[in-house]
Amino acid sequence: MTTPILEIRNLHARIEDREILKGVNLTIPAGQVHAVMGRNGSGKSTLSYVLAGKEDYEITEGEILLNGESILDMEPAERATAGIFLAFQYPIEIPGVATMTFLKAAMNAQRKARGEGELSTPDFMRAMKEAGSLLNIDSDMLKRPLNVGFSGGEKKRAEIMQMALLKPTLCVLDETDSGLDIDALQVVAKGVNGLRADNRSMLVITHYQRLLNHIVPDVVHVFSDGRIVESGDKDLALQLEARGYADFDGQAA
Amino acid sequence: MDYDIPTLKENIDRETVESVLALDVDKYKYGFETDIESEVAPVGLTEDTIRLISTKKDEPQWMLDWRLDAFRRWQTMDEPSWAKVHYPKIDFQAISYYAAPKAFKGPKSLDEVDPELLRTYEKLGIPLSEQAILAGVEGAGEPKTPYSGNVAVDAVFDSVSVVTTFRAELAKVGIIFCSISEAIREHPELVQKYLASVVPVSDNYFATLNSAVFTDGSFVYIPKGVRCPMELSTYFRINEKNTGQFERTLIIAEPDSYVSYLEGCTAPTRDENQLHAAVVELIALDNAEIKYSTVQNWYPGDKDGKGGIYNFVTKRGDCRGRNSKISWTQVETGSAITWKYPSCILRGDGSQGEFYSIAISNGYQQIDSGTKMIHLGKNTSSRIISKGIAAGFSDNTYRGQVSAHAKATNARNFTQCDSLLIGDKCGAHTVPYIESRNGTAVFEHEATTSKISDDQMFYCQARGLDEEEAVALIVNGFVREVLQHLPMEFMVESQKLIAISLEGSVG
Amino acid sequence: MRSTMPVRLGPAEDSLIAQLKSAGADAVAERITVAGLPTRRVESYHYTDLKALLRAVPPLAGAANAANPPSLAVPGAYVLTIVNGRVQAAGAVPAGLIVGKTEGGVLSTRDDTLVGINNGLASEALSLSVENGVDTVIQIDRRIEGEAAHAVDALKIFVADGASVTILETFSGSDAAHMGNHATYMALGKNSAVTHVTLDLSPSKSSHFATNEYRLADGARLRTLVIHAGAALARTQLFPILAGAGAHADIGGLNLASDGQHLDITMESHHAVPHTSSQPLFKSITRGRSKAVVQGKLVVDRDAQKTDAKFMHQGLMLSDEAEILSKPELEIYADDVVCGHGSTCGKLDEDWMFYLLSRGIPQAEAETMLVRGFIAEVLDPIEDEALNEALNTVVDGWLLSGK
Repeated sequence: MTTPILEIRNLHARIEDREILKGVNLTIPAGQVHAVMGRNGSGKSTLSYVLAGKEDYEITEGEILLNGESILDMEPAERATAGIFLAFQYPIEIPGVATMTFLKAAMNAQRKARGEGELSTPDFMRAMKEAGSLLNIDSDMLKRPLNVGFSGGEKKRAEIMQMALLKPTLCVLDETDSGLDIDALQVVAKGVNGLRADNRSMLVITHYQRLLNHIVPDVVHVFSDGRIVESGDKDLALQLEARGYADFDGQAA
Repeated sequence: MDYDIPTLKENIDRETVESVLALDVDKYKYGFETDIESEVAPVGLTEDTIRLISTKKDEPQWMLDWRLDAFRRWQTMDEPSWAKVHYPKIDFQAISYYAAPKAFKGPKSLDEVDPELLRTYEKLGIPLSEQAILAGVEGAGEPKTPYSGNVAVDAVFDSVSVVTTFRAELAKVGIIFCSISEAIREHPELVQKYLASVVPVSDNYFATLNSAVFTDGSFVYIPKGVRCPMELSTYFRINEKNTGQFERTLIIAEPDSYVSYLEGCTAPTRDENQLHAAVVELIALDNAEIKYSTVQNWYPGDKDGKGGIYNFVTKRGDCRGRNSKISWTQVETGSAITWKYPSCILRGDGSQGEFYSIAISNGYQQIDSGTKMIHLGKNTSSRIISKGIAAGFSDNTYRGQVSAHAKATNARNFTQCDSLLIGDKCGAHTVPYIESRNGTAVFEHEATTSKISDDQMFYCQARGLDEEEAVALIVNGFVREVLQHLPMEFMVESQKLIAISLEGSVG
Repeated sequence: MRSTMPVRLGPAEDSLIAQLKSAGADAVAERITVAGLPTRRVESYHYTDLKALLRAVPPLAGAANAANPPSLAVPGAYVLTIVNGRVQAAGAVPAGLIVGKTEGGVLSTRDDTLVGINNGLASEALSLSVENGVDTVIQIDRRIEGEAAHAVDALKIFVADGASVTILETFSGSDAAHMGNHATYMALGKNSAVTHVTLDLSPSKSSHFATNEYRLADGARLRTLVIHAGAALARTQLFPILAGAGAHADIGGLNLASDGQHLDITMESHHAVPHTSSQPLFKSITRGRSKAVVQGKLVVDRDAQKTDAKFMHQGLMLSDEAEILSKPELEIYADDVVCGHGSTCGKLDEDWMFYLLSRGIPQAEAETMLVRGFIAEVLDPIEDEALNEALNTVVDGWLLSGK
């Protein structure tokens, strides 16, 4: 059996004195898209931050393996160059830093970590144009400071564009549908679907089933009180939508 | 930056509307004088004056020595001139430093107090009675004034404390609540340990003067682990003319204790200025919390700026223990001049300081007030919300200091100072000193100055309020964030006071 | 009040008094004799105690030659030079500009020691008159050459109604413990538009003092930017007076403080008539054991209704030992105004940092990127591309120079 891209074993994490993840087990084989659904406050977003390596969280137990290697001791930047990409629920606005400058720095940092040379300016521009056209992002938007003054839809599209440029092996999409109208959602979903590949896995974290009509998952997990309480195929999402989360509360995995 | 003052929707609640509509027409309703025979020290300030005060108070020798030492230091000091207030030079030799009702012979039980004094306090809305409801006991009806209900009162009349209520009740849980004069005699070990430990004798000109001549004030001691079962309060009244009032308050909260303390003050309407120079010291030990609220309503002077109290006050709290907390809330509407900076020294790791202030100036009043948050310990935090309202010909200055010492890792401060100008003859000023000496400190300060928007005025007037009512209503909304930090009973009273203070500010 | 003890004077004050007396500036000399140099008790020097900071004052500067190239090269700029207080001969003058020389003492008299010293000692002033739109950047290169010297110079600029110009002042000199006291007075005519950048690149042991006074007529638009990137002790005083309806000032400043430096920007902006606006924005970055000071006062006169003024200072601390001291003030006498100020201080935002790291950007690079981003807000509005690029080079140099 080939090594899964992501394997999470009995993961416990806390912030200050509060335990938020209480034994998460999750395996995503290469090429698959898994959805994690749960109500607000169930710990879904914590899972995404823990994967990306946010300092505020302390891992008290368990293991996270990316392509069979533990990432727990890796800094956020190392994790990114190792292939983890987090599409933030609330992409941060950074005044003064042009989107273009930022993208170039990120792409070159990752190339450098892989032992590749810096992108030439024409190559960079070409890559930008390509990824931008996929997500309706024009060059004017790229000249603006990172996410500053972007609408909700623009921010999410810019996140997916970054994903397209950085070509990660594990994409973590945290509530990518929040704040999007149906048109924007379709653009984003098209972008994400275009990035599905045999050597890439995705973890789609969402509150609503709606997104999963557009990004169809291979497996759906229900998340409650810090752990996965049920897993199934895409129909599980429809059941959830019909019955609500209450039915799943208190279930053990 | 967002300059909107709170929207009308938030402002209008029935209670406010009613209280504004039911306003009295008189401007300063506490201006009467009590006709009571007093013993008044001759005017002037010499070492003999201090000996006289000390003798009257039946003080031990150490206290007299301490006073004399302060007096000698005071003589070498200069009156501060940095505040944005202007007044003729005070003649400290033209003031009497001691005045007490003649019949007064030391603290008494309630039934021994001169009925004339009881009537005076009744008229001020402070019935000195222990008949009112005790904590947790219901059925005696709604409290009618801030001081009815669960409030123990220390009544200070000119230079003496005339009575302190609920003492026996409080003593049951080990709380000491008495006049400072009595504490000096009965609890010298506590007084010697803590007096001037927060405000050093020569801290500033007025604090040093106070140390030499203070006459009375309150002493509060909350033992370890005790949550004070009722609000404690002191009500200060200046009655005699040509006297100054120099009160001294000392509050000590032992570890894990809590106390909420209120302070009120009024004075008769007089043409000449009178001096009030108080010192208040608070000490909070580990996990203790002190909440100190003031409604300052000294006589502000008449509409031409004649008379009024000069209010030069040093108030400081020391968060000496870990995770201790001191919270100051003040509503400043009175006095001709206010010079007052209730401060917090955040010494204990994890300690917190808060300052919530409403300062309203009208007529020819001058206010220079604010706070200092001195971050010394690690993980200390402070919060300052100041609302200044200037009307008439007044000047209203917020002066504040926030500083993080080099060792104050992770110090946090948030400051919001808003000023409202009513009319074009007044001034509103903001002078913050923001000093970060630690790379991990995070300070945020924001200040705005604006006037009441025409749209808001029009909206209120379209609903039938006249101009003055509309202003009072909108101002109450502007200060709401601070009012909420006052004890319940004080809130309604303060709202009325705000409206009265602003009478004559428009039209 | 008791009579105050006479002030004890130090060697710095003694030298200054002698210099002032030799120049016939007896009133200023007398004032320093009585009060000494300002201490922290003088409000506007609260964080820059000159009495404590100035241990000595070097002798008044003698003539020196100006063979050196300007300290900052801006392609296409027209350069005028003042060396050791003396105005150097001008080359071919661009169209629309008149260059001349007048007597010193260009600043309005005010209760300020540095202003007093400049007015007392500046013997001559470079005068510029901008008659209409000048496209070339005009650079005034003010330098102190030779042995350690106290150089006092002055510049007077008239911008005619409707004229526009970009002026850059650079301050530099030989590597010695100089003391510079520089004055610039600028009168902006109706509807004129001026960008005025002053960049201090003084050598590391020197003290740099500059005072810029501006008077804006109706509809004038001023953009200023002060950059402190040199000297051991630097203080720039900004005194804009918005004296005409519709006048607007964007006043910018940047303290780039490295180990051992004390940098101070002090502004008092005066809104004197109705319908004026200003937006002062200052940023301070400190690293090592350094100190950055920003004081900014907005004064709105009784008649100056409809004033719209917003002051902002943001401090960024890159080390634990640094200090950022700030005193934003409002002094407002008109009621129908919208005025405010803000002041923040802290280290680099952790959420921003995490975002960059999560994209694979290494720590050090992410830090530089965020600091550049922090600075961009004050540099970006400088429209002249060559000038903007030159200023960015200075900032980059500072960023890469470490401590």
